[in-house]
Amino acid sequence: MNEGVSAGIAAAPIDEDHVRDVTEDHGASAVEEPSADDFRHARTLPVEDDWYKRAVFYEVLVRAFADSNRDGFGDLNGLTDKLDYLAWLGVDCIWLPPFYDSPLRDGGYDIRDYRKVLPEFGTVADFVEFLDQAHARGIRVITDLVMNHTSDQHHWFQESRRDPEGPYGDFYVWSDDDTRYSEARIIFVDTESSNWTYDPLRGQFYWHRFFSHQPDLNFDNPAVCEAMLDALRFWLDLGIDGFRLDAVPYLYEREGTNGENLPETHAFLKRCRKVVDDEYPGRVLLAEANQWPADVVEYFGDPAVGGDECHMAFHFPLMPRIFMAVRRESRFPISEILAQTPEIPSNAQWGIFLRNHDELTLEMVTDDERDYMYAEYAKDPRMKANIGIRRRLAPLLDNDRNQLELFTAMLLSLPGSPVLYYGDEIGMGDNIWLGDRDGVRSPMQWTPDRNAGFSTCDPGRLNLPIIMDPVYGYQAVNVEAQSNSTASLLHWNRRMIDIRKQHPAFGLGNFHELGGSNPSVLAYVREHVDADGFRDLVLCVNNMSRFPQPVELDLIAWKGCVPTELTGGVPFPAIGELPYLLTLPGHGFYWFAIHEAEER
Amino acid sequence: MPATSSPDGPPGTGDPLAGLHDALLAWLPTQRWFPAKGRRIAGLRTVAHSVVSTPEESPTVEHAVIGVSFSDAAGGSAEERYQLVLGAQAGPPAEVEHAVIGRRPGPDGRDEVVYDGLADGRISRLVLSLIVENQTRGPLRFVAEPDTEAPIVGPGRPLIGEQSNSSVIYGERAIMKLFRRATAGLNPDLELHRALRRQGSHEVAPLLGAVEGELDGEPMTVAMLQGYASNSADGWSMALASVRDLLAEADLRADEVGGDFAGEAHRIGKTVAAVHLELAAALGTHPLDARAASEIEAWMLDRLDRAAEAVPGVAEQRDAIADVLRGVTAAEPSTLQRIHGDLHLGQELRTPTGWLVIDFEGEPSKSLADRVRPDSPMRDVAAMLRSFDYAAFHQLAEWEQSADDPDPQLERRAQEWADRNRAAFCDGYTEVTGTDPRDAPELLRAYELDKAVYEVLYETRNRPSWVSIPLRSMRRLLTPAGRGER
Repeated sequence: MNEGVSAGIAAAPIDEDHVRDVTEDHGASAVEEPSADDFRHARTLPVEDDWYKRAVFYEVLVRAFADSNRDGFGDLNGLTDKLDYLAWLGVDCIWLPPFYDSPLRDGGYDIRDYRKVLPEFGTVADFVEFLDQAHARGIRVITDLVMNHTSDQHHWFQESRRDPEGPYGDFYVWSDDDTRYSEARIIFVDTESSNWTYDPLRGQFYWHRFFSHQPDLNFDNPAVCEAMLDALRFWLDLGIDGFRLDAVPYLYEREGTNGENLPETHAFLKRCRKVVDDEYPGRVLLAEANQWPADVVEYFGDPAVGGDECHMAFHFPLMPRIFMAVRRESRFPISEILAQTPEIPSNAQWGIFLRNHDELTLEMVTDDERDYMYAEYAKDPRMKANIGIRRRLAPLLDNDRNQLELFTAMLLSLPGSPVLYYGDEIGMGDNIWLGDRDGVRSPMQWTPDRNAGFSTCDPGRLNLPIIMDPVYGYQAVNVEAQSNSTASLLHWNRRMIDIRKQHPAFGLGNFHELGGSNPSVLAYVREHVDADGFRDLVLCVNNMSRFPQPVELDLIAWKGCVPTELTGGVPFPAIGELPYLLTLPGHGFYWFAIHEAEER
Repeated sequence: MPATSSPDGPPGTGDPLAGLHDALLAWLPTQRWFPAKGRRIAGLRTVAHSVVSTPEESPTVEHAVIGVSFSDAAGGSAEERYQLVLGAQAGPPAEVEHAVIGRRPGPDGRDEVVYDGLADGRISRLVLSLIVENQTRGPLRFVAEPDTEAPIVGPGRPLIGEQSNSSVIYGERAIMKLFRRATAGLNPDLELHRALRRQGSHEVAPLLGAVEGELDGEPMTVAMLQGYASNSADGWSMALASVRDLLAEADLRADEVGGDFAGEAHRIGKTVAAVHLELAAALGTHPLDARAASEIEAWMLDRLDRAAEAVPGVAEQRDAIADVLRGVTAAEPSTLQRIHGDLHLGQELRTPTGWLVIDFEGEPSKSLADRVRPDSPMRDVAAMLRSFDYAAFHQLAEWEQSADDPDPQLERRAQEWADRNRAAFCDGYTEVTGTDPRDAPELLRAYELDKAVYEVLYETRNRPSWVSIPLRSMRRLLTPAGRGER
């Protein structure tokens, strides 16, 4: 499909085909890239410094959300049509995994062209329209950008293979032998036996930290750095609100190191941040560094200036520990990881999640001996099978509404910005028979109608089958049915998101764990004082056990204050001299606002 | 200088607490730390008394040791001694209303109110500042541990729910423990914490300071200041959560349920082992030779006979038990050292960074001389193994009060939990010391049975509904199948 030409909305449609012409023309070498000025720009939202700290993020796969053109693939126009739903739910920011042109050998993380949309998803102009409509509803949009490597089908790589002396000859990491950087581990041990692969055309080995079809870019070449910054600028000019930077620890390689978290990598990220701060204030960078929190904080940059690399980073180890804590009926798996999480710069924020599109390998979380968790999981066949993540939240929790609520309440109240995964708000199921990571990427279930309302195409054309089992099938679990029942999980999620937004302490506040007499109860306080001196104080109490539990909390610091339960507004007894006694149902939780006594 | 007084008080006034005796007699049995609740008190006297505060400081703070004698048979002739910290002022603030002991005529002739001083933040602040400043007030020496970071001085908050002592927490950073039972001699809790701090132990809360006085011409440990393990929970409550999880499952094994405790048991084993190595390094070891072994055996047999007198179930098995206890002398030579002496899951604190061992006072029923005597580390190991048994069967004992026949299925599951966690504990212990306690089965079994006999006696007297737990273990340890721990 030739979507460059069909980009009808674009002010100045361009012929993107000339790119391919150039690569096929053996006489030419330099490639002219499309410019953002070739397209309409989306309206922008007002610059708000802290928006990413307060935001509720929602990860949605374009291919799985809504199909507007009956080809069986979700697309950007379909996504645009569903923005009202996301606005109703209370989503502040949509995170789109890569929608770039790609041979799709790694879920789109193998980018063939940084400035082109995957034809099945639409066009750059469709994206601009989506972005514009999202902004019209106050919703921001970020997307993945893979800087470390490209697809082997990217014209940069094809040029680099063909012409070592040409402008792209030094865009990748080439070597005459496969012995350099031998201390760098192999990440995909199941499929790759070396980080070097021989290219018969160029007669050299090329470096790849991931799959052999994903050659690493050579960031020691200033032209590569410039090309990547220009790719950032392309989308930022169109109006995008930020990037999740994929696989950032691996940008550089140095002999005698493991090639992760090198100072050169941090230096380049500081350059990226400076471009954002200088040219696009209010946009954010989110680091995907699947490392220990103590290492990840390096990606926030210098704390003295509030952080000068990425605004956000995912907190990876927290997620499995939430599961482990509930399974162990002990708060300590969570307490431990939070106690080991260092302070972050004032302008930084963690991103936290329960599930996402990716297969989270425990090796990536805990390759270090510092942690015992892998051993714990390995001992426990059920945990291993389940956390080897090809499951959605609801099936992981046996569709237990109490646990679904408890987990979500923790996601929405622990320190960090919560990232929801599409479909989990209605308790969608998965299809483990689809293999790889597709089990959790089935189409969104909108209605009990044909194809779950995802598409009106022939059911046989769907890119992935709809979930049809009796518990999680689209006739039982869908947005329409849950919209009509205020007792549904969907409405519950919406209410909780709304409550979260009423209390800045959830996004901006500090975190203090209270401990307490009962090891099965995780209790903490979030506290924020704004510039006007207004104090917002929220107390969260979570029962990790399936049995009812009492807990005595030391709330003496707030003696005389009245805890008000947040979902119903019921005032609880005032805090006195003695430990504050609460009883929680199995997997129960409370959120309280703690008001000064004189307010009564 | 603060005013001080001899035990007899200033001339003309007699016992400085004379006017308070009736109030104290009414107040003592309501205190959790007062162990002799059901007993008839024959008399009360002031053994030592001093005023801690200066005349400029308000409220007045007094330290006292009182002696309580009993008129029932169990009391014998021995007097039991307790420490008090008292506050006194004309009208106490409302916050200490619940801690009032009584009234007495004040120095100005008007009545003043006397109350439990630890409840008053001003008094706990004074005590902390005296420690930080290394002051001496009368007979009391307040000492900060050298080379420690002094906690920020502020008011303390009484810890609620404590058993035998009384503690005050300072801003989640430090905890001060007032030893309620007054004993002449250096308290092993302070002694061993000092020794472990010298070893740089990570397995105990760091010692920050102490208050020391005198009793019967000997030094006495009044109080101890330590780092506070905030956000911690004790091993007993964690183990019970795990057991409940297992017993609620219909068909899963102990290693399959989510609440599996073996990982924690393994880490507890490593922690206890590290403490043993540190205590050995700090305070030395002695050979457990034939002479030492026969002393221990004699001690065990003596305890057995006392239990047999009181509990028919023990008397019936007396000779069989004695045979097992003699395993102490049959065992291979090993070593003696200072040990914890009263280890159980409730003496282990899980913090977000690992496990801590607390409370090195030793078994409360023993004399100080017995508590500080070197013993085999196997005593601590056996005590922990007993504690895993206790945790496993505690829930069953609770249920059995209403059920005539214990459910054999639940019993098997509880046993499975105990076996799994006992093994994990031993594995962890072995990992650190390099010596597997299960390689000395006679010694281990003797210590375990000795502990079980003691427990049977204790539960018969104090918690009859729990006595089935140690009785069950006693029977198991007496059968040949109970011989092999692994």
